[in-house]
Amino acid sequence: MIEVLIDLIRYFLSILKSNQLDIPLIKPIIALIMKIVAQIPIPYLSNLVDFILAVILWRPLFAVVVMPGLTVLMIYLLYIVWFERKLTARIQWRVGPLEVYRPLRGAIQALADGIRYLFQEAIVHKDAHRPYFVQLPILAFIPVLLPIAFIPAGNVVGIKSPYAVQLTIAFISLIPITVIAIGWASNSRFAFIGSVREALMYVAYEIPFIVAAISMIFLYKSGDPYIIVENQWIPGAILNPLAFLVFLIAMLMATSRLPFEIPEADQEIAFGPFVEYSGILFGLVMVLAYEKLYVMALLFTILFLGGWNGIYISLLGDLNAPIWLTIKTIVVISIIAMVRSMYARYRIDQAIRIGFSWLLAFSMVALAIGVVIGYEGGI
Amino acid sequence: MKVEFKARRLDLLRMHLDVIREAFKQAVAPDRVTVEYPRERKKYPANFRGIIVFDKDKCISCFRCAHICPANAIQMTFYEKAWPGIDYTKCIFCHFCVDSCPTGALRSTKIHDIAFATMGEMKLNAVQMLKAPELTREDSFTVEYVVDSQGWRLEKKAEIDELALEQFIIPEKRRVSVCVDPESCLGCRLCVELCPNDAISVDRKANKLNILPEKCTGCGICVRNCPMKVLELKEVK
Repeated sequence: MIEVLIDLIRYFLSILKSNQLDIPLIKPIIALIMKIVAQIPIPYLSNLVDFILAVILWRPLFAVVVMPGLTVLMIYLLYIVWFERKLTARIQWRVGPLEVYRPLRGAIQALADGIRYLFQEAIVHKDAHRPYFVQLPILAFIPVLLPIAFIPAGNVVGIKSPYAVQLTIAFISLIPITVIAIGWASNSRFAFIGSVREALMYVAYEIPFIVAAISMIFLYKSGDPYIIVENQWIPGAILNPLAFLVFLIAMLMATSRLPFEIPEADQEIAFGPFVEYSGILFGLVMVLAYEKLYVMALLFTILFLGGWNGIYISLLGDLNAPIWLTIKTIVVISIIAMVRSMYARYRIDQAIRIGFSWLLAFSMVALAIGVVIGYEGGI
Repeated sequence: MKVEFKARRLDLLRMHLDVIREAFKQAVAPDRVTVEYPRERKKYPANFRGIIVFDKDKCISCFRCAHICPANAIQMTFYEKAWPGIDYTKCIFCHFCVDSCPTGALRSTKIHDIAFATMGEMKLNAVQMLKAPELTREDSFTVEYVVDSQGWRLEKKAEIDELALEQFIIPEKRRVSVCVDPESCLGCRLCVELCPNDAISVDRKANKLNILPEKCTGCGICVRNCPMKVLELKEVK
């Protein structure tokens, strides 16, 4: 019986070993770990450690779980909440979060908040549609996190697909539906107003957003991130600046940040669709917009900023691409975070007018530019 | 009309750029004026009104502090003499008591941040007021607001503001009570009973008040209470 099990593990191991990350930097460390483990007299321990290391360094799993996947997403969430609050505070002459670990200027405030959410009671009020109210914050993660499996970073990729960009756009387009459903399940007037506003904003930004992305697909003549990144010896932002602008503004609208913070509008409808949530459920829905921003910024980096192109450090090997992609994404998000402290909120009619007038017009022009550059034999 | 419209659009664009420039400027070097209080301390003017301390040797029990207090926060209690105690639930820090004290027995300190654990503790008696409360210094910086033509600025110095008490020497004018109109005296002996220092006595044979200048502290209680207003405080050299 054990022989069969070991054979099975060997078979898995051979699959894992055939697609391992190649990082010269950590090779001596792995060798050292294996050497130490080999001296410990526990049967099969070295095999087990070998298996675990092989699992971690298996490319698809590494892409989804470590970088640019869930681990980086988690660290990014802790970072961006603090960074955004701190930056807004600086611009508005305040100090921002400070007292939770002062030597780091309040850097673990988000972690403290997260732990507090975890231990707080999650109240489901009487009028809410209980099953949906509890399920939807978790269901909402499906369209938010699935694109991470398709977005590649060099050799590190979860699911290799020539339609990765289209798929990512499709998943991003699904997110507002969960938000609207959350508002409906909450069954409160603020949540209802928030849902309707979310739907209105969805209508306003979705068409220019998709058209801008499609213009870039026309420009590179492919939806395959590998071809897109390979072709970007000039960044896409310079090739098609209008699409760049439209995508950027659509990103602000889609993640409901100021000046388009209409669905959440703290001052008017108190966090809109999410008003009834508390405890860990609130923690989940609160980070939804940030995760959406992360996925959109990944797409933005790939389409307009040359993806994982960067200075190649041979010591890092395969890790180069994920690191460059992550750095670029975080920088993009950090710059976007600044917009929040600069602008006041638009009215709903103004935002929709922007979406349907010049944002749509710009996206159409961008599409024309994309088609022309793509048709001319391109880059 | 069309030109105006275009100009407005350009103006808007310029304003957007201004906003972005200002935001970046503030993000890099904010002009904020927040004082991080326990670690930094604002430098207050020299005579900023703080908690009041009491010097029992100088007090002449004249009750002027208790009389003048607009919040009725001072209550005189009898120890060796009648000494003032301040109720900080009522005190409005007007420092009329300090100003009215003829001998400088009450004076201000540079301690402006006081905390009490309970309401009961806020009522201090004279003995508790003899020395300033102990101060735990957490500050290592002194900050000062500077207002000039460029606007507000916060100047920060890596030094601790000295909060020790300075010895004020109030030029003391020694005054004693004198009966200026002995013919109008009713002989009610209110002054004799009120005098905290037993300086006044009545000479029954001569039918007149006998005020001993060496015992009189010049507190003026007799002057204030005389029904005929025949007593007066007069300076002596």
